[in-house]
Amino acid sequence: MIKLEHIRRSYVSEDIETTALADINLEIAAGEFVAIMGPSGCGKSTLLNTLGTVDRPTGGHYWFHDSDLMTLNEAGLAQFRAETLGFVFQSFNLIDELTIEENIELGLVYRKANGGNRRKRVVEAMDRVGISHRARHYPNQLSGGQQQRAAIARAIVGDPRMILADEPTGNLDTENGLQVMDILASLNADGATVVMVTHSPSHADMAQRRIDMLDGRVVASAARAI
Amino acid sequence: MNTFSLLRLYRSLTRHKLYSVLNIGSLAVGIAVFLVLGLYVRFETSFEKWLPDHDKIYLVQTIWHIEDSPFNGAFPNTMGGLLEQIREDFPGTVGTRIMPTPINVIRNGVGIEEQGAQVDPEFFDVFALPMVAGNGPATLNSPSGVLIDQDTAEKYFGTLDAVGQTLTLTTGVDGKTGTYTVGGVFQNLPENTDLNFKVLGQLPAVQTAPWWYRWGSTSLFTYLRFPTPAAAQAFNAKLDGFVNRRGMKDLGPETPTKWQQLAVLPITAAHLTPAGGQAASLSQSVIAMGVVGVIALLIAMVNYINLATARAGLRAREVAMSKVLGANRNVLIRQFIGEAVLLVALAALVGLSLAELALPWINAATEMSLAIPYALAVPALAVLALVVGIAAGFYPAVLLARYPAASVLASARAPGGGRAGARVRELLVMFQFALAISFMVGTLVLAAQTAHVRSADVGFKRDGLIVVRSMTQAEPEQIQALTAGWRALPMIHSLTLADNSAGGSGTNNANSIEIPGQPGPGPSLQQIVVGPDFFRTYGARLLAGREFDLAHGADDFANRKDGVPVSIVINRMGASALGFASPEAAVGKTVGKGNRTFTIIGVIDNMRFLSPRDATTATYYSFTARMDEYATATLRYSGDLRTAMDAVKGTWLQVAPQVPFDASSADQRLAELYKSDEQATRLFTIGAVLAVLIGCVGLWGLASFNTVRRVKEIGIRKTLGASTRDIVLLLVGQFLRPVVIANLIAWPLAWVALRNWLAGFSDPVVLSPLYFVAASVLALLIAALTVSVQSLRAARAIPAWALRHD
Repeated sequence: MIKLEHIRRSYVSEDIETTALADINLEIAAGEFVAIMGPSGCGKSTLLNTLGTVDRPTGGHYWFHDSDLMTLNEAGLAQFRAETLGFVFQSFNLIDELTIEENIELGLVYRKANGGNRRKRVVEAMDRVGISHRARHYPNQLSGGQQQRAAIARAIVGDPRMILADEPTGNLDTENGLQVMDILASLNADGATVVMVTHSPSHADMAQRRIDMLDGRVVASAARAI
Repeated sequence: MNTFSLLRLYRSLTRHKLYSVLNIGSLAVGIAVFLVLGLYVRFETSFEKWLPDHDKIYLVQTIWHIEDSPFNGAFPNTMGGLLEQIREDFPGTVGTRIMPTPINVIRNGVGIEEQGAQVDPEFFDVFALPMVAGNGPATLNSPSGVLIDQDTAEKYFGTLDAVGQTLTLTTGVDGKTGTYTVGGVFQNLPENTDLNFKVLGQLPAVQTAPWWYRWGSTSLFTYLRFPTPAAAQAFNAKLDGFVNRRGMKDLGPETPTKWQQLAVLPITAAHLTPAGGQAASLSQSVIAMGVVGVIALLIAMVNYINLATARAGLRAREVAMSKVLGANRNVLIRQFIGEAVLLVALAALVGLSLAELALPWINAATEMSLAIPYALAVPALAVLALVVGIAAGFYPAVLLARYPAASVLASARAPGGGRAGARVRELLVMFQFALAISFMVGTLVLAAQTAHVRSADVGFKRDGLIVVRSMTQAEPEQIQALTAGWRALPMIHSLTLADNSAGGSGTNNANSIEIPGQPGPGPSLQQIVVGPDFFRTYGARLLAGREFDLAHGADDFANRKDGVPVSIVINRMGASALGFASPEAAVGKTVGKGNRTFTIIGVIDNMRFLSPRDATTATYYSFTARMDEYATATLRYSGDLRTAMDAVKGTWLQVAPQVPFDASSADQRLAELYKSDEQATRLFTIGAVLAVLIGCVGLWGLASFNTVRRVKEIGIRKTLGASTRDIVLLLVGQFLRPVVIANLIAWPLAWVALRNWLAGFSDPVVLSPLYFVAASVLALLIAALTVSVQSLRAARAIPAWALRHD
C-alpha cells in the first residue's frame, strides 16, 4: 500500500543543515501493524509525520497505492489526510476549547460528512473506546488515559485506512497504556493499517513488524516471530 | 522592578519590534488625538474666561417671540438706550454698552479700517481690561480720547510711547472725522474672545437717532455686572416687569413680553450660545470633538489593556519560573504593574511629541492657534500613565500570580484567561469597532453634508460675483460716481445695490403682511430693499411674473402714491407663507394693508445669502432706483477675480479713498459662513480616521496574538485534513463575528447622533442607509484584511511544525 523511495528530510537553520531522514526506503502493506523504534532524535516522528503528510520530505518519492503523494499540492494533501488517515499523538492534541464529542466530530468535519451520519459515527467511535460518559466534558477535565482514548476515537471516527500513532502510550501509566494498545490491536484486526512509533519494546512486540531506526536511517526491519 | 525585569522588558520590546511599535504607537496616537481635541474643546469653552471677574459679567439678551417671524429666539444684542432705562429703574446697576463701530484711521488722506467700538465711560467698572500704559477710565471720560491695543500702538507709533499721541479717525456711526488723543494702551485681546476691538472710544452720552430708544430695535451689546449669580438671577426675574412697563410705548399696550423679553446670560456662556433660531452648531461641534477625543483615548486604552493582558498569558512560564525561584505574589504584581506604567509613560511621551508635531498642521487646517499647556498636560499625562498602567498591568499580574506554578510548567499551553478571558477580549474588540464604525458613518455623513452645502443650489449663480461691503459707508454722491465708474469697466457686466447681499449684511428687517380676508397680522416676511438689476446681477431664477423694471415707474416705492399698492417681488417661500398654491397664483395679487399694501409682480426662487444652518426665510423684495443709504454693492464680473477686484478697487481709491475698501467675492463670503462646519468636519475626520486606525492596530495585535496561541490547534486541524482555506475562513470568521455584532451597536448610535447634527441644517442631506452600509463594509474589509494576513501565514505553516509549537 505504501512505498517510500529515497525519502530525505533535512532542516536548515543559520547555515547548519540537520538531517532528520537520510535515505528511507520502506514498504508497508495494507492491514499491517508496524512499530517504529529507535533512540530519541533518530527520526521516528519525522518518518511518521512524513507518512502522515504533515511534513514534507526534502526529496524522494512517497507512493500511496499507485499515486505519488509528492506531486499533490497543499489542498490535495489535506484531502488525502481527511479521507485516508487517523492520527494519535503522545500529547493527545485535543483542542481545549472543544468538548470531547466536538473534538471527535472534528475528525469528520473536514471529510465533509453529513450531520446526521456524523452524529451516529461520533457515538459509535466513543462507544468503541469507552469514552461516551465523558462526551460533554472538556479535555482538561479528563485523565490522560481518557484523553488518549478520546484522541483515538477522533482518529478512527472517519474510518481511516491507516492509523498513525506517535508514542500513543508515552504519557500513560501501564494500565491505560495497555488499554490503548488493545484498542489499536483491535482496530488492526478489523483491517486498519497501523503505524506506531514507540519506546516500549513490549508494545512494539504487539505489532506484526518492527522497524529500527538510527540517525535518520532504517537499520532493521523484521517481522515478529509468531 | 529589578534590573532583570528592565532588561527583560527592553529585550522583549526590541525582539518584538512590530508589536511594540504598534502597541505603544497606537496608545500614543490615542493620547495625541485626545490632547489635540482636548485643546480645541478647552479653547472653545474658555471664551472670556481671561477677563478679570468674568464670572460677574453678564450679557443682556433680547428674546423675540413673533409669530412666523424668521428672527425669533435669543439674540446677544439690545436696543441702544436700554442701559439708560435699566439704570433709571434699577438705580445702582453697574453696566456698559459696547457698540462695534468700524473706525477708519486716516493717514495721508487714505483710510485704514480698524476694528473699533464705542463704550460707556463706566466700561472699566465691568471690563477690567489689563492696561499696558495710560489711564483707561479717564480716557473714556473724554469724548476726544481713545484707547488702543498694543498692536495698533505699534502699527501707528512704532516704538514711540503712544500715550498722548493723536490719531485722525472717522467713526462709522456718524461718519465724522476728528482728531483723538490716545489716552492709554491695553493689552492685545487674546484669541479666545468675541470682543473684537482694537480701538475704544466713548459712546456719546446724547443720542439723537430715533431708533436709539425704540423697543424692538437692536443695535449694540449691553453688559451688566452683578456681585453674585444669585443677584443676576434676581435681576433676571425682574426683567419681564421692566419690559412690560417700558416696552409698551413701541410694543403695544398688551403685555409687550408676549413679543419680546430680556434675559441676562453669563458672558462665559455667550460664545457657545447660538443667536436666534440658529442651530447650536458650535456647541455641537465642541461636544462632538470632546467625545471623539475621549473615545479615541478610550479605544487606545482598551486596545492597550487588551493586548497587554492577552500577551501576558504568554509569560506564564516566566512567572512560574520566578515563583519556583522564590518570587512572591506581591513582587510579581509590582513587577507587572511597574512595567505597564513604564510603557504607558513612554506612550504618553510619544503622544505628547506627536501632538506637538501635529499642532502646526492642525492649526493650519482649522485656522486656530492651539498650543499645549505643559504645566497642565504633563501632570495629567502622568496620572494617565498611572491609571492606564495599573489597569493594563493589574489583571495579568493577579491572574498570573495566582496561577499554580507547577501546572504552568507541566502544561504545554499558557493560561490566557481561558474562555472567559477570550470572551472579554472579544467584547472589547466589539466595543472598539462599534465606536470606530460610528465614527466612520459620522465622517461619511459629515463629508457628504459639507460637500452638499458647498455645491447646493443657493438660488443664484454664486461664482463671478464681487460684494463691496464698504459701499455702506460711502456718501450718496460717491455711490453715484462709483457705480458709474464700475459700469465703465470692461469685465463688469452688471451691478446692483441692495441692503442685503450674499453672505449677509447685518440688516434683519421683517414685516408682517396681512392676508386679505384672513384675521390676524399675517405672516412675517423678511424685507430686502433692492436697486436696479438686482435679480439679473445675482442670476436669480424667476418663477412667475416679472422682475422690477425702471420703465414701470410704479415699481419704485419712492414714487409711491397714497392708496396705490407698492410693487414687490417675493420668493417661493414667501408665496407659500402668504398662502398661494403656486408662484403663478401669487402674481398680480394684492396683500397687506395701509401703507404696507403690496402688489406681487413676480416670484423668484429662494436665494440663500446666509449660513446653511440659518433657515431660508420667506422674503419680499421692494425696489427703489436710488439706493443711497446703507446699501452694499454686488457686481457680476467675468474673467479672473483678482483682475476684476483690482479694477474695482482702483475705481474705489479714486472716488472714496478715505473709506477703506472692503470687498470679497460672493464665493469667499459664503465660504466664510461654511467655515466653522468645514473646520469641525476636518477635525472630526482626522480624529475619526485615527480612532479607526487605532482600533485596527488593536485588532491586528489581538489577531496576531490569537493566531500564535492557536498555532497548535491549526496543526491539529490540518492533520485532520483541514485545508489552508478552511483555516483562514475559520480564523477570519471568528474574528469578524465581533465586528459584525459591532455594527448592530454602531448603527443606532450613529443614527441618533447624526440625525441631531443634521437637524441643525436647513437643507440637510438624507441620512441614507448607504452611509451605514458603506462604513460597515469598510470596517469589515479592514478587519478581514488585518486578520487574514496573519491567518494565512499561520494556515500555511507545515502541520508538523505547528504540532511541535507550544
